[in-house]
Amino acid sequence: MNKINPPYYKFFGIALIVFMLGCEDDINPNLEEALPLLAVDAWITDKSEPQAIRLSFTRSYFENSQTTPLLNASVSVDDNLGNSFVFVDQGDGDYVWTPANNQTLGVSGTSYTLSISAEGEQYTSEQIMMNPVPLVDSVTYRLDAVTAFDDDEFIGEFWSRDLIGEGDTYWIRSFLNGQLLSLPSEINIAFDAGFVGSSFDGLIFIPPIRDAINPLGDLELLENDSLYVEIHSITNDAYQFLSEVQTQTDRDGGFGELFASPFGNVPTNISNVDPNSEAIAVGFFNVAAVSGNGRRLIASEVSN
Amino acid sequence: MLLRTKLFLSVILLSITGLDLFGQQSFTLSGYVKDLSNGEDLIGATIYVDEISSGTITNVYGFYSITLIAGVYSVEYRYVGYETIKQEINFIENISQDIELSDGGQELQEVVITAEPEDSNVSSVEMSTNNLDIKTIQKIPAFMGEVDVLKSIQMLPGVATIGEGASGFNVRGGSVGQNLVLLDEAPVYNSSHLLGIFSVFNPDAVKDVKLIKGGIPARYGGRIASILDVRMKEGNSKKLAAQGGVGTIFSRLAIEGPLIKDKASFIVAGRRSYIDWLAKPFVSALRDGARLNFYDLTMKMNYNIDENNRVFVSSYFGRDNFKFDKEQGFDWGNQTATVRWNHLFSKKLFSNFTAFYSNYDYKLAFGQTDDDQFDWDSKITTYDFKPEFTYFINPQNEISFGAEVLLYNFQPANAVGVSNGEVQDVSVDRRFGLESAIYLANDQKVSDQISLQYGLRFSHFTYLGAPTTFFTFDDPTPGLRKEVVAEFEADRFESISNYSNLEPRFSMKYQLNGTNSIKASYNRTSQYIHLISSTTASNPLDVWTPSTNNIKPQTGDQYAIGWFRNFQNNGYEASLEGYYRRTRNQIDYIDGAELLINEALEGDLLSGKGRAYGAEFYLKKNKGRLTGWVSYTLARTELQVDGINQGDWYPTKYDQTHNLKIAAFYEVGGRWTLSSNFTLTSGTPTTFPTSRFEQQGITIPYNAGDSRNNTRIPVYHRLDFSATLQGKEMKNGKKRKNENYWVFSVYNLYSRRNPFSIYFAQEGDLRTEPVPTRATQVSIIGNFVPAVSYNFKF
Repeated sequence: MNKINPPYYKFFGIALIVFMLGCEDDINPNLEEALPLLAVDAWITDKSEPQAIRLSFTRSYFENSQTTPLLNASVSVDDNLGNSFVFVDQGDGDYVWTPANNQTLGVSGTSYTLSISAEGEQYTSEQIMMNPVPLVDSVTYRLDAVTAFDDDEFIGEFWSRDLIGEGDTYWIRSFLNGQLLSLPSEINIAFDAGFVGSSFDGLIFIPPIRDAINPLGDLELLENDSLYVEIHSITNDAYQFLSEVQTQTDRDGGFGELFASPFGNVPTNISNVDPNSEAIAVGFFNVAAVSGNGRRLIASEVSN
Repeated sequence: MLLRTKLFLSVILLSITGLDLFGQQSFTLSGYVKDLSNGEDLIGATIYVDEISSGTITNVYGFYSITLIAGVYSVEYRYVGYETIKQEINFIENISQDIELSDGGQELQEVVITAEPEDSNVSSVEMSTNNLDIKTIQKIPAFMGEVDVLKSIQMLPGVATIGEGASGFNVRGGSVGQNLVLLDEAPVYNSSHLLGIFSVFNPDAVKDVKLIKGGIPARYGGRIASILDVRMKEGNSKKLAAQGGVGTIFSRLAIEGPLIKDKASFIVAGRRSYIDWLAKPFVSALRDGARLNFYDLTMKMNYNIDENNRVFVSSYFGRDNFKFDKEQGFDWGNQTATVRWNHLFSKKLFSNFTAFYSNYDYKLAFGQTDDDQFDWDSKITTYDFKPEFTYFINPQNEISFGAEVLLYNFQPANAVGVSNGEVQDVSVDRRFGLESAIYLANDQKVSDQISLQYGLRFSHFTYLGAPTTFFTFDDPTPGLRKEVVAEFEADRFESISNYSNLEPRFSMKYQLNGTNSIKASYNRTSQYIHLISSTTASNPLDVWTPSTNNIKPQTGDQYAIGWFRNFQNNGYEASLEGYYRRTRNQIDYIDGAELLINEALEGDLLSGKGRAYGAEFYLKKNKGRLTGWVSYTLARTELQVDGINQGDWYPTKYDQTHNLKIAAFYEVGGRWTLSSNFTLTSGTPTTFPTSRFEQQGITIPYNAGDSRNNTRIPVYHRLDFSATLQGKEMKNGKKRKNENYWVFSVYNLYSRRNPFSIYFAQEGDLRTEPVPTRATQVSIIGNFVPAVSYNFKF
C-alpha cells in the first residue's frame, strides 16, 4: 500500500499548485522526556565479509549529535545447528564478526537467535529463519517519462523472478556508483513479486518495485552512472517492520498528509529475557541471503 | 428486555386507542403546502389551529393532515419568511386542501417578513437537530466561493472536522463513518469532491438540509452518530426556470420546470470544474491524456398522478478524475437512484415507498504499457426497499411505522496485476450483507406543556455467504495482528453471522412557558457496516466493510438534555444542550494495519469502546438587518481499545475541547449584503515521538511511553468574508425578468497557516551522519483565498 500511494501524493501536489494553497513550516515543539532504551541494528547477511551489529541508545528526537554507543556488551548469534558466531566489540558501538576465507554466517533454511548481554541485562531475539533469495538476472535502463507531467529521463530497472511459493519477503537495496541509497523514500520491499495482502507469487517483480532502485529527489542518472541491486531475503516480520518504518519515516508532506497514517511505534523482535525488566530494546534482527547484479548506464545502448 | 418491549408497545397502543373514546364525530383536513412562486413543497410548514392552540407541521413531502372534532376552526398556514394564510374552516366533512404560500418578495433583498418567525425551537419536541435551508447556506462565505452544504453544517454546534481537505465531518464525538448522509433517502458513501475540499451536493438542486445529532427518530437507523438528511428540490412546477453560475472552481447550470403544469415537474442540475479546460493550452500534460476534473449531475422528476398518488424519481451521479497520463490515474464517485411513491390510503394515513440504489467506487491504474500494469477498483453497492407510514390520528398523536431491507454488496478490491506480460488476479472476493429493520413510533402531545416522541426500532443484520474463504481468528495479544486459526467455506447467501438490536428512541419536551422549554432525549443506535480508515483524515480510498463473524456491529447510546429559549418575539432563539454518548465495538487498527487488498483484513482490526460528552450553546438572531448565530461546543471524545495507549482511554483524532463558530449576515441596503464567519477550535490530537534511533541509516521516531494522541497541534482559527452584489432590479425603467448577482469572497482573510498535521522526519541520509531531524507543520490552506462568482436566475 505504502508504495501504491506516493505517485498520487505527487499528483495531488500538482492539483495543489494549481490552487496555490498548501504550505509547510518547520517548528520546534517540546517533546516529552524519555529514558534511553537499547537500540539494536542487527541486519546481517550471508555475504562473506565482516558482519556488523550496532548497539546504541535511543535519544531525544531532536538530539542531532552522534549516538551514544553501548560498549562492553557481549553479542553472539547462534544457529539451530549448534554454531555460535561471536561479534567482537569494536569500542564504538559496532560489534563485528569477521569470516575466515570464504566462510559465511548464514545458510538458507537455518534458524538464528541473537543474544546480547550488557549492563546486567540479557536481551534475546526471536528465533528467525534465513530465507532463500532469487538471483538478480540483470539491470537495464529505459528512457521514459514517469507521467505526462514529467520529461523523459533514464530509469533503471532490475529483473528478477520471485521464488515459487507464497509469502517470500525481500528488501531490495540499490547502490548508485557504490553508494547505498538509504533515504526513507528509497526503502524498497516486496512481498512475493508485489505487496502484502496480494499474491503476486512467482512473477517477475512488478514495476513499482522494479523501478524503485533509482535515486530519488533531484538526482538524475547520467552517462556512466552505475546501479548495483541487491535482493536481501527477509522474514515476514522484518517485512512488516520495514513497511512500518516506511510509513513512519517516508513523509512527503503537503497533500500527502491527507493520506498519511498517524504516528505509531514500529515493532521489534528483540526483548529482555526478564519480562519484568524495564530495560526494553528497540530495533530488529534479520539474517539475509543476498544476491546482486549491476550495470553501468551507456546512453547509446538504451533503446526507447 | 422482552417485558420492557411489551410494556412499551402497550403504552403506544393505549395512547392510540384511548383517544376516540369520546365518540364525537371528527373530520380531517389534509393536503400539501407549497411555495406559490415555484410549486416546491414546503417542509416543516406549520398548520396552526387557534381554538386548540396546537396544530401540525408538514412532513418532508409537504403533506399535512389534521383531524378535529366537528366545528368551525380558525386555521393558519405559516412558514418562516412567507406570508401567513389564515382561514375559517368548517369541519363538517373531510377536506382536502393544498395551500400555496408566498415568500413576499425576492430573496437576498430586504424583504418584509410578514409571518412572525416560528417558535418551533422552543415548542417542538425535536432537539439536537439543526435545519439549514438553502438560502442560509448560500449566504455563508464559502471556500473558493463555492456554496457548500457540508461546510455549512460545520458551522453548527456539535459538529467538528479534522481540517481542510479531510472528507466528511464528525458529530458529537462520532467518526466520519458513523454519519448517515442521505440524498433523497439514498445514502451517499463519500460526500466529497477533491478529497474533502468540496462536497458532492449541488446547491442549485438542494432544498433543505437537516442534521440530526440526537433524539434520532425511529425511522432512521444504520449509523450511530448522526443523520444528515438532504432533500432535493422537486423542480419548478409553474414555469421553466434556469439558474447557474460561473465560479472559481465550478461552472453550474440547473434547469427546472413543469412537465405538466402543476402536476409534474423536473430539475436537472450539473456542475463541472473547469480549471483543466483553462489550463489545457498551457499544460502539455493535459493535452497528452492527463485529466484533472470533477463533476456531478443531479436529476429529479415528480408526477402527481392524482390526489392520492405521487411519484418521485431522483438520481445523482458524480465523479472525480485525476489522471496523470492516458493510462495512469485515480478516480472515484457516487451514484444514487431513488424511486419514491407517496400514497394516501386515507386522509389520515400517509405512506411512502422508497426503493433506492446507491454505489460508491474508486479506481486506480498504474503502469504505462499493457505488459506492466496494475488496475484496481473497489466498490460498495446497496439496494434498498423501505415502506413507511404515518397515521395522523388526531392533533395529539401521530403514529409512524415502517420497515427497511438493505442488501449490501462489498467489493473490497478487484485487482489485476500484469508483470512483464504475466497476468495475476489479486482480487479480494466480494462480501454480502443483509440489513433489515422495523419500527414503530408515536409523536404525542400529552398536554399543552408536555410532548413526547417515542419509538422502537428493531434491526437485524445477516453476514451472508459468498464464493470465498472465510476466516476465524485467534484471541489475539491485544494490539497485534490476529492469526487465522480456521478457514471455512459458505454457500452463496447462506447466513454466517446474525446480529440484532432493539433500539429504543425517546424524546420529550416540557414547555415552561411561551418562550422556554426543557427537552430530554435518549436513543440507542446500531451500525452494521464500518468505514475502514486508518489515515489521519478520511479519504476516497477508505473502504466499507460489513459486520462479520469476527467484527461485531457498533452500538451507541446517547442521552441529551437541553434548555430552549426564545427572546424578543422569537427574534432570537437560544439553546443549551448537554449530551453523553457511549459506544461499543468502535473500530481501531493495529499499528501497520494493511487495509487495502487484504483478504485477512479482519485480523488487523481492533475493537473498543468510546465515550463522548459535551455541552453545546447556540444563539441565533432571526430578525433585523443583522442576522446570524454563535455556536460554542465544549466537548470530550475518547476511546479505549485493548492494545492501544497501553489500554488507557485516549482522545480520538477528532476530539475538540473548544469549538466556536460565529456566522453573521448583514443587509447593508441597496444591492449589497455582507457575510462573515469565524471559526476557532482546539488543535487536533496527535502523537509526538519522544526519541529517535537508527536502523540501517534510517532515523526512526519512537514514543517511549507507547502513548496515542498525547498532544495537540496548535489551535485552528479562521475568518472568512463575502459580499454579494445583487444585479440591478430595473432596466430601462422596467423590472428585469432575470436576476443575477455577484459574490466576492475571501476565505481565511488574515492568511493564517492553520495546521493540518505535524510530522517528524529526517533530513539527509547516511552521508551526512549524524542525520538531522525536524518537525514540520503542514497547512493544507496556508493563504487567504479570494474568489469571485457570478450567478444568474431566469
